[in-house]
Amino acid sequence: MKSIELLGKGEEMHGRAYIKLNVNELEEAIKKLKENGFNHFVMLSCIDWLDKGKFELVYHMWNYEEKEHAMLSIDIDRNNAVMKSMSHIFPQIETYEREVHEMYGIKFEGNTRLTPFLLENWPHDPPMRKDFDSKKFVRQMYESIPFIEGEENEGI
Amino acid sequence: MGLHNGDKMMRYEEWSKLARKASKKSLWMVHFCTGCGAVEMPPVMTSRYDAERFGITSMATPRQADVLLITGYLTVKTLRRVIQVYEQMQSPKYVIAFGSCTINGGMYWDSYNTIKHLEKYIPVDLYIAGCMPRPEGIINAFIKLMKLIDEGKARGWEKYQKYYDRYKENQRRVFNFEIKEEQKEEKNEEH
Amino acid sequence: MDMIGMAIKIAILIAYAIIGTCVGLLFMGIGRKIIARVHNRVGPPFYQNFIDVAKLLSKKTNISHGWIFDLALLFSISGILLTLLFLPIGGAQLLSMDGDAFLVLYLLAIPALGFALGAGASGNPNAGVGVMRALVMMLSYELPFVITLIALMIYYDTTSLATIVKMQSIDGIKSWAITMPPFMIAAFAADMALQGMLMEQPFDIPVAPHEIASGPMVEFGGKYLGSLMLYKAIALVAETTLFVDLFLGGGVVMHSGVMAAIINFFVWLGLIFLLFVLSILIAASFPRFRIEQAFGFYWKYEAIIAAISLIWVYIMVIK
Repeated sequence: MKSIELLGKGEEMHGRAYIKLNVNELEEAIKKLKENGFNHFVMLSCIDWLDKGKFELVYHMWNYEEKEHAMLSIDIDRNNAVMKSMSHIFPQIETYEREVHEMYGIKFEGNTRLTPFLLENWPHDPPMRKDFDSKKFVRQMYESIPFIEGEENEGI
Repeated sequence: MGLHNGDKMMRYEEWSKLARKASKKSLWMVHFCTGCGAVEMPPVMTSRYDAERFGITSMATPRQADVLLITGYLTVKTLRRVIQVYEQMQSPKYVIAFGSCTINGGMYWDSYNTIKHLEKYIPVDLYIAGCMPRPEGIINAFIKLMKLIDEGKARGWEKYQKYYDRYKENQRRVFNFEIKEEQKEEKNEEH
Repeated sequence: MDMIGMAIKIAILIAYAIIGTCVGLLFMGIGRKIIARVHNRVGPPFYQNFIDVAKLLSKKTNISHGWIFDLALLFSISGILLTLLFLPIGGAQLLSMDGDAFLVLYLLAIPALGFALGAGASGNPNAGVGVMRALVMMLSYELPFVITLIALMIYYDTTSLATIVKMQSIDGIKSWAITMPPFMIAAFAADMALQGMLMEQPFDIPVAPHEIASGPMVEFGGKYLGSLMLYKAIALVAETTLFVDLFLGGGVVMHSGVMAAIINFFVWLGLIFLLFVLSILIAASFPRFRIEQAFGFYWKYEAIIAAISLIWVYIMVIK
């Protein structure tokens, strides 16, 4: 596959190129792929590996000529979740970084728009982290709000 | 001397009965379709099921509408907008909640950002169960709502006025995702 | 004696208002039914609009947006009632003067301006956009309409609506303006202008519900919307009546006597109904013009058609 040839490492996975990179290699790799036809940044996804203690960030890119999907994967420390922003290469990464910041609590240095995105006034832990107990939260939050029972068939 | 008080009440009753008769035959709705179920509305309004023969038309703004039809799940963020829309409507106003997500959360029962019971935040006159309900279900619900209006039982808007502070308190809690301290401890033990 | 005359005039005015609203609401209901049949639907009952108005007027809360918002509706309704007074209905005209054909054009602008005031006072951006579009639309349909009006005035050598109606009713249907070739063209232009006046499709961009949330009416609700519907009902009658007076002899088929007045009234009713059905059928079959398309349609094609009829009439008169 073209992206594996370009970067000199990685493996083919279900017809896509999966390339494991170190954090400091990522910027160069994205730039190189962008220059060589991977001009569509598809999305930025994040996986929480609770037992390994790290977050995996996956940068998906697409090449229209080769019809090739490249996934650039990096690992960052779960307890010190800080990453350099890539929004200067593809501007649309900014929005994905906002979402990942909100859902996983990863801070992106250089992104100035890490404001609340989908959740408003969210005071708790980021909800997509594996140690966030969604069922318990639902019980404590939504189930505890009382029903408002008026008298039967009443009016003013 | 004026009318006797009882007569006045009678006359008021008669007038409101007439008003209800007119109101039930001309239900203008504004449909709030952010979650899902918006696709069920076009067949209801167009040639296939033709809701206009019951006097049901869809209106462009909440000011002109009588019925708020909420389809599908509501996140906390959309609930805020729903309440704005509801408060802009002019009473008598009715709410129909559509789909099982508005009843108890449906398939989003354990989601962190989806409200579970719509009637904790705004008064709901009628639920349509199902995921998704068919257009027949919607028309059936409207006919049931007409019956309720005729009998004077669709009084959600009066309930909202009467218990306004309690509704507001519930809304404030869910908007700020506020968990009470005693709730935290109690549930932790149970867990 | 003067007092009695005044009282009679007031009574007739009230009767006009009631007839105007009833006929208008009935027509609107029938229009909805016709559109439904065109869509292959059953449609609401023909009395649906009466129920709608009753419901709107019985609403319990009615949110106002300041005194201009309140007065604007009054402005609109009084403007359209005044227009109705100057229009010969079945040959009977309550108020008349020289040049009332021009006056009616001015009076027809008053309700639109009142409407614009109310919508502006509501402060909603959609209402602002809608009002802008409504005023541009008014500007565009008035040009062809005024040209056809001038053609009629040159031919009949008068500026009085009553005289135009009288001249056309001399010889029954044969003397109607629309039977003459130049006025056939003019009537086409004027009918398209009427479509714009009624804000029916394809010229309903000012109130487009899906684009600007019903435009100027966006903040109207409850009793305000109810009175707006009443105004629209009267406006429908007034605008179709203007066309009937100009081209169809005002519906006058008989002269003198009580019987003639009644027959003329029903002929007038039938003619405005036919005109309304025509406009509804056009509305049901065409999609919506954008505002610049509508403007272009009126100022390019309609204005040229109207100008051709004007020149034709001028040549006929000179001969």
